[in-house]
Formats: sequence, structure tokens, C-alpha cells
Amino acid sequence: MKPFEVRLVLPVVVPLLEVIKGQVRELQSSPAIPGDSVPSSDSDLSEAWRSELLTSQRGDLELFMALFGDEFINEGVIAFDAANAEAVIRSCSAVRLRLRERPLKGLGDEALESGDVHLDTVPEDLRKAFMCYLFLATLQELIISRLDDGAP
Amino acid sequence: MKLVSRTHRAQTQPTEQPVSATELRLDGLWRVVVLNDPVNLMSYVVLVFRRVFGFDEATARRHMLEVHERGRSVVWSGLREKAEAYAFTLQQWHLTAVLEPNEAL
Repeated sequence: MKPFEVRLVLPVVVPLLEVIKGQVRELQSSPAIPGDSVPSSDSDLSEAWRSELLTSQRGDLELFMALFGDEFINEGVIAFDAANAEAVIRSCSAVRLRLRERPLKGLGDEALESGDVHLDTVPEDLRKAFMCYLFLATLQELIISRLDDGAP
Repeated sequence: MKLVSRTHRAQTQPTEQPVSATELRLDGLWRVVVLNDPVNLMSYVVLVFRRVFGFDEATARRHMLEVHERGRSVVWSGLREKAEAYAFTLQQWHLTAVLEPNEAL
């Protein structure tokens, strides 16, 4: 893929970043997908599986959070290229899964899937979490549309 | 990409080795099944299927729609060790992938 940049509106995105950082901290210690997805009753294999998933997830999240460094703080710009694109879309997925499990749990899956949420009627923290959820989906769609093709 | 594998077997059996009847009897055949979730975008799931399995766009979309509409799709079947590797990779992409014994084969 060709590298590209996106300019974000800082007053809108910075408050969301605090919510995202909170989820990223939690994702340092547990995989985003449910624990019962590990396909083994062998405890050693299950532990190795979980540990490697977590290592992979942490690596992705590091690249994801690197988007929001000085260039973002100073100019609102985030940059994507072949080296970070896949890690970023995986991280967006991980954070969205965690948002669904934790702060957005009260909204229900139907509302999350349809996006039919009346933002003016929900509490501030829930509203902010839902805005994060949408923001991350938008980032994913943007990157996926720029990837050359889906082939390996 | 490092994949989880069963250490003992990985050390004694190169993956290129032909599959023996004994191995089939010991391990059987397994399905990799992707389950629906309300979070991951359709375009994302299609991309993952293309990346992980090398599916063309139409095949990837067919599996994605099956997951979305029926709640699950069998995306691969074969020997346990390779099925585990695929399930692990799908989980790295945060799809809910599980293994099931393929009793029909």
C-alpha cells in the first residue's frame, strides 16, 4: 500500500484518546477475544497459546499507540504505511472488542451492530466510549480501502 | 509469525513430511470454524480471510456472509496441527475461531 496521512480534529479526538488508552492498558494483560476460544484442554498448550496471543497483541498495540505521538499532538496528523497498517486495524478490532465488553456492555449488541444509539440520551462516559467505537471503525475502513488488495 | 504448536510433535516431525495413516488415526481431521461477533466489520472479516487463507474476494465474502447470517462458517479442515495454526492466526486478528473434530471425514 502507498503511505498516506490523515488529519484529525484534535479537540474531537484527544478526549477519545483517553478512553482508548484506558482500554489499551487493559489489553496489555489479557487477549481481546474470549478466553474460552483456546482450543485445548492441555493447560500448558492453553497457556502458551494465550501468552503468544498476548505478545502479538502487545506488539500491534505499540504500533497503534505510536500513531498518536508528537506529529498527532502538534498537527493532528496520523500516518499509515505498510509497516503499521495491519497492526493498526488489528488493534482497532481489539479495542472495539474490549469497549463492547466493558464500557459499552449496557448498550447491547443490537445497538452496537446497527449503530442506532441516541447519543443525547446516554451518559457522557458511555457517549464517549461509543464515539471511540465509531472512530476506530472509521480508521479500519479507511485503511482497508487503501490496502492494495486482500491477498496475502 | 510464530505459531503455537505442540512442542513434542513439532520437534520430531517436520511439517513437510507426508501425512501418514497413523497420524490421521491419532489426530483425526479438524474443522476451523469462525463464529459471528457483533464487533468486527464485514470488510475487516473479508480482509482477514483473504490474508490468512489466500481466498479470492468472492470466496472470502461468501464465508463472511455465512458467518454473519448463520453465525458460523467452516473455513478450513484438515490435520489438527495445521488447524490449530490457522485458528491461532485468526485469533491474532481477533476473530472468534474454534476447532471442531471433523467427524464427517
